[in-house]
Amino acid sequence: MGRYISRQLTSIIPTILLSIVINFFLLRAAPGDPARVMAGRDNPTEEQIAAIRAELGLDQPLPVQFWRYVQELAQGNLGQSIAFKQPVFDLIMERMPATLLLTLTSAVIALTVGTLLGAIAAQRAGGPLDSTLSFGNYALFAIPSFWLGLVMIVIFSSKLGWLPTAGMRNVRADYTGWRDTLDVIQHMILPVATLALVQIPIYFRITRASVLQQQREDYVTTFRATGMPQPRVFRRYALRNALLPTVTVFGLGLGFVFTGAALVEIVFAWPGIGRLTLDAVFRRDYPLLLGVYLVLAIAVSIAVLLTDIVYALLDPRIRLR
Amino acid sequence: MSQHYPLIDLQNLSISYSTPRGMVSAVDDVSLQIPHGASIGLVGESGSGKSTIALALMRLLPPNARVTGRMLFDGTDLTLQTETQLNRGWRWRRLSMVFQKSLSALSPVHRVGAQMHDVLALHEPGLREAQREARIREVLEAVHLPDRVLRSYPFELSGGMMQRTMIALGLLCNPPFVIFDEATTALDVITQAQILKEIERLKDEFDLTTMVISHDVGVINAVTDIVAVLYAGQVMEVAPRERFFSMPAHPYSRALISSVPRLDGQQGRITGIPGSLPDLTNPPSGCRFAPRCPHATPECMERTPRLIEIEPGHLVRCTEFAMKDKTDR
Amino acid sequence: MAQSLVTEAAAPIAAPRRPTRIRAFWQPFVESRMGPIGLGILILVALAAIFAPVISPEGPFALGGPRLAAPGTDGHILGTDHLGRDILAQIVYGARVSLTIGLVAASISLVVGVLIGSIAGYCGGWVDILLSRLTDMFLIIPAFFLIIVVVATLGSGIGYVMVVIGLTAWPTSARLMRAQALSLRERTFVQALRALGESGPRILVRHIIPNGIQPLIANASLDIAAAILIEAGLSFIGLGDPNKATWGRMIFDGRTTITTAWWASVLPGVAIIVTVLGFYLVGDGISYVLNPRSRRVRG
Repeated sequence: MGRYISRQLTSIIPTILLSIVINFFLLRAAPGDPARVMAGRDNPTEEQIAAIRAELGLDQPLPVQFWRYVQELAQGNLGQSIAFKQPVFDLIMERMPATLLLTLTSAVIALTVGTLLGAIAAQRAGGPLDSTLSFGNYALFAIPSFWLGLVMIVIFSSKLGWLPTAGMRNVRADYTGWRDTLDVIQHMILPVATLALVQIPIYFRITRASVLQQQREDYVTTFRATGMPQPRVFRRYALRNALLPTVTVFGLGLGFVFTGAALVEIVFAWPGIGRLTLDAVFRRDYPLLLGVYLVLAIAVSIAVLLTDIVYALLDPRIRLR
Repeated sequence: MSQHYPLIDLQNLSISYSTPRGMVSAVDDVSLQIPHGASIGLVGESGSGKSTIALALMRLLPPNARVTGRMLFDGTDLTLQTETQLNRGWRWRRLSMVFQKSLSALSPVHRVGAQMHDVLALHEPGLREAQREARIREVLEAVHLPDRVLRSYPFELSGGMMQRTMIALGLLCNPPFVIFDEATTALDVITQAQILKEIERLKDEFDLTTMVISHDVGVINAVTDIVAVLYAGQVMEVAPRERFFSMPAHPYSRALISSVPRLDGQQGRITGIPGSLPDLTNPPSGCRFAPRCPHATPECMERTPRLIEIEPGHLVRCTEFAMKDKTDR
Repeated sequence: MAQSLVTEAAAPIAAPRRPTRIRAFWQPFVESRMGPIGLGILILVALAAIFAPVISPEGPFALGGPRLAAPGTDGHILGTDHLGRDILAQIVYGARVSLTIGLVAASISLVVGVLIGSIAGYCGGWVDILLSRLTDMFLIIPAFFLIIVVVATLGSGIGYVMVVIGLTAWPTSARLMRAQALSLRERTFVQALRALGESGPRILVRHIIPNGIQPLIANASLDIAAAILIEAGLSFIGLGDPNKATWGRMIFDGRTTITTAWWASVLPGVAIIVTVLGFYLVGDGISYVLNPRSRRVRG
């Protein structure tokens, strides 16, 4: 188990390093003077540009620059946002909880629903229900998350008036306590539904394939021979075996949902990291953009590591070797 | 205690599979009887139908299988039983099956003991946990396995231990009839010999009637009383073991026996059997072995010979003997 | 009644009719049911793209029409956007862009993935370890964000977009190819070639890759679909090529007026869904053909 974890770490750490390296070189690979690029678009003065050049140490040799960059990172300094005039790190941490709220809630819902439907489809494989679900699953997977969000708004917010259009809270009212929670939940419903719907196909597909695979395993024949009815074989044995690959996929699925979350946040004006990214892109706020990317890369790496650990705990073949 | 009729009586059993390419005839008009306490060996190459017969007895064939004929177990026709009846009254309690050990013959993520407890609880819900534990230890002891096997996961067991576990599982509910389906095939020779000795002993200890399926005539020689040879879904020869090995009648049987190298000094030639099984979606009209038989005549290709009893208890399906049978009259 | 006995001894006088390669592929493809539907969809999309000038002779950028006209007004079958441009025209011309992006990006991804995967699988040893780590890394990295960062920094021309998407999508192909190379490496014919002195690169190019590439073809269809979705996402946040009429940019343009003029954003989304679905279904059909075990046995 220990060996397994250290093996996983040897994947994660280089990935994070790679992201850092990419960040570092990307800025310097951009056409034009990096300092000028970093200074932003709002007509920076020559002094501002010179200041940035000194701060980045652009006149130093590359290895020195890189070392400085890494040192800054280690201290949690991701630079200063040009557009917001605040430390990037602070900005990101401020918005992170809102994004986590959306991503984790939708991921759990998608995992539950997708796995359930996938197991059902696998048990009736080849039949009309399976064909319908599989086809529907492909269709769902083809839907762009931001488009779905817009459609949700049109239907549920505009036409039916059931739910609010945008934002996380009703800014005019000043709710506190449980009324505030209720308000947030009300605002959460559409974005979470959107995000959940676009993630379901991932879990449906992996669960269906996994259950089908398990049905072909020898132990199923063994238990059927002992007189155990098929539903019981499935519930007690096949299901647990079948869910293992789903756990692995969940880690990568979180990476996928961070992407979708950004786009959905933009549609729903949700005050999370997605909005931040959009602003950063529009204003070419490179420190912010690169900072967001790095934080996300680290977050996804950690998520993958955690799910790998959970997987190892669940599968005795890994845990005990 | 003598029985009037055989424990297992297969009557005109035919099994075919419905596939997109047409009906595949896997078992053709097989009739076999297994007396109480006897051990019958089904031998033949892959695709001969031996495992199909075993699965048919357990009623574990896939949904696209079509079964005709009767399978009498102690007088009751198993083909007429419903799934519920089979689960409650027959499977594992009257007849059980020992499968070839494989990586996933048991669930890889559950402990062996838990799975055995589960099976026992299924059939004897009245037992308390302690009683179940006692019974499980009994069967483990019978196959010479230590108790720690119960706490282990399948992947932690060696090949031999896993196969013994499968045997213990098969004996768990004390069935009178046990099928061993290629139960030693995946083992090395030494372990194989050990397991075969265990099976011999268990037959006596538990008073079992058994069916041993193998493609290896050596295995058949070790643990059976009656030998039945199957080829392309048909019974080609049935004989008591000693008679079979000393005077095999069917050319295929002779080829099977001679394809095993002898260790007793007599260096004969090892002959393989050239050719392959016929296309079972379109079985030939004559003897199914004729295309590969060194003694085939035009008559063999045209008419399927019937199973003839050439000596008491010795049956052969071969044109050569059918003709002799006619001329003798 | 004549019977045909399948024997080794008797030499057949006339060789039995073997199914041609095309039929061997086509029959199971049709059996998959999803495959032909997908193919039909793609043919329609391709036709729309090819005949765009015929369907909408005025082009996607023709101004002058009524703004935000509902579908059906004034000869605009699907309505107009906020600048008065015909929606149908933008959709059919957008098909050209989407298909191009999808095909180019997927091709790049395929080439890179095949190279890396086959080298990793065939060479083994530290080469394999190194390349596999690299593959894992690119799998974990949030690709979309990386693409955002790169495109925002380097430029958002359509060429950049295609190349960057291709360069982030290769890990799946690489993994598939590596698995193929690993098993092909052990095959007798490969070992024979090595014994005969064939050089590694030649074996790789002439034998390993052609024999192992089949599952990657099914995956390529999925890559094309993914590329189209990614491009749409990029356009939606304003990073797409401003000179091209892409479906993603249409959704972006129409989002502020979504409640009053839904067709400007919704219809291009439908185009995306249908096209992407087409590629998914074709990919499903191809994997069904390649995977005899998964074929449903009619009971």
